[in-house]
Amino acid sequence: MRIQLDSDGNQLPKLGLLILQGCVLFLFFFLVLRLWYLQILRGDYYESRAHSNRWKDAQIYANRGLILDDKGVILAENSPAYSIALVREDCPDIPAALAQVSKWTGLSGQDIQVNYNRARKESSQSFAPLILVPSVDFDQLARIESQLVNWPGLVILSRQRRYYTHGNMFAHVLGYVSIASDDDHKKFPELSIGDTVGKQGLEVVLEDRLRGIKGLNAFEVDVHGRQLFKRVEYKPKGGENIRLSLDVDLQRAATAAMGNNAGCIVVMEPDSGKLRALVTLPSYDNNIFTAKLSGAQWALLRDDPRHPLHNRVIQSVYPPGSVFKLPMANMLLQMGVDPNETVFCNGQVTLGNRVFRCWKKGGHGRVNMTRSLIESCDVYYYQMGDRAGIDRIHDFAIKSGFGRLTGIDLPYEKSGLVPSKAWKRANFPKDPGWQRGENYNTSIGQGFTLVTPVQMAVYVSSLLNGGKLMKPLLVDNDDPVITGMAPSTEKERKFIVEGMRQTVYDARGTAKRILRTDAVMGGKTGTAQVIRLGDVRQKTEEMAYQHRDHAWMVSWGIKGNKKYVVVVMVEHGGGGSSAAGPVVKAVYDHLFAEDVYGPLPPVVASGAARQDVNIDEVYTEEVLKAAEDWQKEAAE
Amino acid sequence: MEKRKLWHANWALIILTVIIVAVGLANLYSACAIRLEDGIAFRPFYQRQLGFVGIGALCMIFAMMFDYRRLETIALPLFILSIVLLLLVPVIGKEVGGARRWIPLGIINLQPSEVAKITVMIMGAKLLAKGKGAMGWAEFFKVLFMGMIPCMFVFLQPDLGTSIIIMAILGGMIIFRGIKAPIVKLGILLLLLSPIFIWKGVYPNLKPYQQQRIKSFVDPSAASRDALFQRDQALIAIGSGQTWGKGWMDGPQNNLHFIREKHTDYAIAVFGEEHGFVGSAALVGLFCLFLLSICATARDAKDRFGSYLCAGVFFYFLWQILINIGMVSGMMPVVGVPLPFFSHGGTGTVVNFCLIGIVLSVSMRRFVFKTS
Repeated sequence: MRIQLDSDGNQLPKLGLLILQGCVLFLFFFLVLRLWYLQILRGDYYESRAHSNRWKDAQIYANRGLILDDKGVILAENSPAYSIALVREDCPDIPAALAQVSKWTGLSGQDIQVNYNRARKESSQSFAPLILVPSVDFDQLARIESQLVNWPGLVILSRQRRYYTHGNMFAHVLGYVSIASDDDHKKFPELSIGDTVGKQGLEVVLEDRLRGIKGLNAFEVDVHGRQLFKRVEYKPKGGENIRLSLDVDLQRAATAAMGNNAGCIVVMEPDSGKLRALVTLPSYDNNIFTAKLSGAQWALLRDDPRHPLHNRVIQSVYPPGSVFKLPMANMLLQMGVDPNETVFCNGQVTLGNRVFRCWKKGGHGRVNMTRSLIESCDVYYYQMGDRAGIDRIHDFAIKSGFGRLTGIDLPYEKSGLVPSKAWKRANFPKDPGWQRGENYNTSIGQGFTLVTPVQMAVYVSSLLNGGKLMKPLLVDNDDPVITGMAPSTEKERKFIVEGMRQTVYDARGTAKRILRTDAVMGGKTGTAQVIRLGDVRQKTEEMAYQHRDHAWMVSWGIKGNKKYVVVVMVEHGGGGSSAAGPVVKAVYDHLFAEDVYGPLPPVVASGAARQDVNIDEVYTEEVLKAAEDWQKEAAE
Repeated sequence: MEKRKLWHANWALIILTVIIVAVGLANLYSACAIRLEDGIAFRPFYQRQLGFVGIGALCMIFAMMFDYRRLETIALPLFILSIVLLLLVPVIGKEVGGARRWIPLGIINLQPSEVAKITVMIMGAKLLAKGKGAMGWAEFFKVLFMGMIPCMFVFLQPDLGTSIIIMAILGGMIIFRGIKAPIVKLGILLLLLSPIFIWKGVYPNLKPYQQQRIKSFVDPSAASRDALFQRDQALIAIGSGQTWGKGWMDGPQNNLHFIREKHTDYAIAVFGEEHGFVGSAALVGLFCLFLLSICATARDAKDRFGSYLCAGVFFYFLWQILINIGMVSGMMPVVGVPLPFFSHGGTGTVVNFCLIGIVLSVSMRRFVFKTS
C-alpha cells in the first residue's frame, strides 16, 4: 500500500491553534468560576440543604394536660385523630387531589374546596399541610393509606385531638382548642403548623400549663424517605393535669334544674372563693371546635338568637333588680339610718308627675329595714335611696365589688356598670344631669346599673366570710385570693345576713321557696325589668319572651361545715322567686343531698361553723320552729 | 523504528489519560456503592466499566499502531458504513427510555450515533486537509453538507445531544482550519438569528421531553418536579462539598441516593461532593492539561490530515466536558452527555480510548517522512 504524503509539509493555521488554546482557557476559567460559586461562595447554603435533605425532624407531640373535676372525673382528654391534609408544594395537581379526597371520604367536593380555601387563607407557606378533612374513620383510613402513594402532596396527619367528655356541660368553662392561627404562631413561636392552641375558656387561660413541651426525633432518610437512623434529640414533656374545683355531678344537677331556660348558675364556696358549679345556658358542644368547624356550623352558633357562645356568668350584664337592696340596706346602715325606722308603703310613690310603683299592688304598709328586705318593698328603697343620693350608692357598690372585674380566670369578663353623677355627665352630655327619679330606680336595682352573676356571687360571699371579696377560683389547688374588702362592718353584715335568712324563713319572705329544714338558708330574690312597665301589669306568660323580666335569686346555705353561695339568673324567666327559686332549691338539694331526709344537725354541733360565719342569730330554735310551721302551712 | 516512534509518542497525554481514568474509576466505585446495615454492596457498573477500560486500552494500543494516514483513504467507506448503521437503527434498533438508539450486538449494544461522531470527524479531517488557508464558500458547504447527513438521522432517533455535538465538533474543526471573512460574517449573523430559528424551527419539532428540558432550564417553574429534583440534588451535592469535600465514599448525597444517574451523566456531582472545590478544580485542571496535550499533537503533526484529526478529537472531548459539567452544575439545560472516563458506558469509553489512540498515532509519526 502506498502512503500518500503531503509534499508541501504541514502549514498549520496559527489562528486555529490559538482558538484551541483559548477554548481550553475559557473552559477552565468558566467551570472553575462556577465551581467556586457553588462550593465556596454558596457552600454553606448547599451544606445546610444537604443536611436538611437527609435529617428529617419528627416532632413527638406532648400530651396536653388533662382537665379533671374535683373528684378526678376527666373533663378534657386527648384522643388520637386522623385527618387528611394537602401539602401544596408536593402536590402537582391540586384540583385532582381534592376530587380524590372527596371520592375517598364521600364528602362533597364543595365542602373540601371550602376547607381548602380557608386553610389556604390561614397559612401562606407552601409546605404547610392544609387540613381538608379533619377526621377520618378508622376503616376509611386503611383504604386511603394504601392509595396514598399515588397522590403526592396528600398526607394523613395523626395527632392528639382534644376531647371534652361532657361537651355542652362545661363548654363555657373549659373553652376549646383549635388550630393555631398566624397570630398564635407569632405569640408562641414554639408552635408548629397545624398545632392546636387554646382559644377560649380555661384552655386559653391555662395554655402554658396545659401545653407541655414537644419532643424531637431526628431521622436520617435516603432519597425515598426510608428511615435509616433514628436519633432522639429530646423527649416530650406532657402538660400539667389540672384539677378543677367544679364538680361534675353538681354541674349536671344544676344544668338539669335550669331546664330549657337561658341563664346561669354560680355555686361558690364563700370562704375560699372556689367555684363548685358554673352553668350557663344555652350551651354548645365545644368538641366541634377541635375539628375544623364548617362555616355553616359556625354561622349557626354565632347567629343563634339565644347566644349559646356567650358565657353568661361573666359576659352578660343584667340589672340586679331587688337583689341590689342587699348592698343598699348595708349602705343605709352605714349612713346611720336606724333599721327600725319605718316607711309607709301604699304601693307607689309619686315624684313630680311620675309614679314609681312598688311591685306589690296595694303596698306593704309600714316597713322597717328588715321587713323591706324580707318582702322586698320598693317604696322603702325609693325613699331611702333618694335620701342617700346616687354618689353614695355608687361608692358603696363599687367598693362591694360591683362595676369592676372579679378577676376570674376566664377570658372576656365584663365589669358591668354602677352609675354616678360624673358617669352620667360624661355619657349623656345632652341630658340635664342626674335626676331624682334615677335615684329611685337605682335604689331598687333598675336603671343604669348592670352586674354580672359572678359579681353577685362574690358579693354574697363577702357577707358570709367577713367582708372579703374573693377572686372566684376554678382550679382546685389555687390559693384563695382576696381582691378587696367590702366597706361594711361585721355588725352590718350580720344584719343583712339575718335579713336574708328571714327572707327565706318568714311567712311572707320572697325567698321562702328555697326553705329547707336540714340547713340554714338565706336568700334574696330579684326581678329585673327588661322594659319599662306600662300602667297595665301583664302576667309573665302574656309578654313576649324578650320583654319578660329577668329572674334573680342569690342565696347562701349552711349545713354543718358546708357553706355555699348559690346565684341563679334566669333570663326572661319572670318573677325571681317563681323562676329562679326552684333552680336554687334543686342545687341545694344536690349540695346537701346525703342529709336531705336525715335528722337535723344538732344546733350546738354547728358552733364551729357559726363562729366562722359570725351569724349567731341565724341558727336559733325559734327560727327553725317558724320554718317548720311554715312548711306545715304550705303543705296544707 | 518502532521504538523510536514510541519514544516520540505524546507521553503527557498518556499519563494524563491514565490519571483521569484512574480517578474516574475511583469515583465510579464510590458512586456504585450501596451502604447496607451490614457492609457495602456494589452495583455492577463499576466492574463493567473496568472491563470497558480494559477493552478500551487494547483498542487504544491498536489505534496507536495503526498508521492514521490510512484513515484518510478509508474515510469515505467508514462514513458510508456509519450512515448505513444509522439507517438500520429504526429497523433493528433497541428502544430504551423512549428513544431508539442502540443496535444489539450480542453482549454489547452498539450506538451508531457514537460511531457517526468518529466517522464525521475523520471525513471532516480528510475534506479539510485537501485545501490550504481560509476556506471559501464551496469548500465550506461541502464539509457542512457532509456533516448534516448523519446529523439529521441522529436528530430523528431522537438524540438532540449527539446531533448537536456532531455539528459542534465539525464546526470546531472548520474554525480551526479558518474560513474567509464573508463566511465569518454570515456565521455571526446566523448566530444572532439562531434563537429565532431555534424557537420557530427546531423547538416545535422536538419531542415533548426535549422541549420540557429546555423549558425547565429557561423557566425552572415549568419543570416537572422530578427534573427539578434531579438538578437541585446535583447542585446540593456539589455545593455541599465546599472547600475540601466530604471525602471519598463519604458523600451523604451520594450514599443516600439523592443524586440520580450518578454512575452516568451525574458522576461529576459525586466527585464534587466528595472532593470539594479543591478536587473539582484540580479535575477541571487535569482535563485542561489533557486537552492542551491534544492541542500539542495537533500542532506537531506531520501533515494537515493529522492536525485536523487531532483538532476533531480535541473538540470531541471539549464539548463533552463543557456540556456535562455545565449541565450538572446547572448552567445548561439537561442534555444527556456523558463525562469522558467518568460516566459508565461501553461504547463511549471504548471510543474515547480509540480517539486518544489516534492522537497518539499522530504524535508517534510526526517525524516520519517518506516510507516507500
